Amino acid sequence: MKELTLELALKMLEAAERWARDIAGFPCSIAVVDKSGTVIAVHRMDGAAMATTDIAIEKAWTAVAFKMPTLMGSRWLDPRNMGKLMGDHAVGMIGRGKGRLCFIPGGIPVTDEENEVIGAIGCSGVPAGVGDISDTTVSQAGVTALYE
Amino acid sequence: MMNLEMAKKILQTGVKKAKEMGKLCSIAIVDDHGWLVALHRIDGAPIPTAEIARDKAWTAATFRRPSVEVSQFGDPKVPGYGFNVQNWNERLTTIPGGLPIWKDGHVIGAIGVCSQTPREDVPFCQNVLKDFFGEERVLKPKKRIVQKKYGRK
Repeated sequence: MKELTLELALKMLEAAERWARDIAGFPCSIAVVDKSGTVIAVHRMDGAAMATTDIAIEKAWTAVAFKMPTLMGSRWLDPRNMGKLMGDHAVGMIGRGKGRLCFIPGGIPVTDEENEVIGAIGCSGVPAGVGDISDTTVSQAGVTALYE
Repeated sequence: MMNLEMAKKILQTGVKKAKEMGKLCSIAIVDDHGWLVALHRIDGAPIPTAEIARDKAWTAATFRRPSVEVSQFGDPKVPGYGFNVQNWNERLTTIPGGLPIWKDGHVIGAIGVCSQTPREDVPFCQNVLKDFFGEERVLKPKKRIVQKKYGRK
């Protein structure tokens, strides 16, 4: 698996949609991007808010650009961590990347066997919650489907 | 109304057709208000095609006419002169390749295709919609905005 193809992207989307519908219980948007950050496939489920497609794409773009889940980046920007972590440095990241940087949890990079980032998946539309109900778990379901 | 299931099926038809033709393209489906429902980019298609396909579909859905026809607003004789340069939502485009999807006299969504040359995209869109919906739903009501009269008085 060197490259994320449309076929693999659709497989990821399928699994993530199933998770969002059956387990999280919220309609949402899911996007898969390749290693250049370009969209391969986006789906907006029926009933999801209209703006979620853009946010899902941005989350996936950020995950691939920083090679890390956006959940980790969101910790930097949390004002409660100010001065403790590197929060006081990372606040300047808000609005960078021509406004495409989006450190809301929900984007996860996809890696191949040699730990190279080959793409990312992003989800938006599930209200932040606990346990299985969050954007991150929907994205995780998509990534898991890739390695099955 | 456009829903994800229908959009997926249209995209499946389109991607299959494009792969048969060896056409590297992106296909976008939007709903009746121009919001993206689904977008697929075929492996190897150029990077900007994804955004351009979406722009074409947005233009077709919101103007209720093929995206190339928006360019007629560049004519000062047409009411609505200047719409073609109003950059709403930073998505307006006059490149051919976006077609609205009509059903029972209403626009339920739009399709946008972007590949190497825009001129190939319009027949491709039409073929995809014909395959999916059958002939009668693709045909849009033929009505021009004004009767154009060229030439001097």
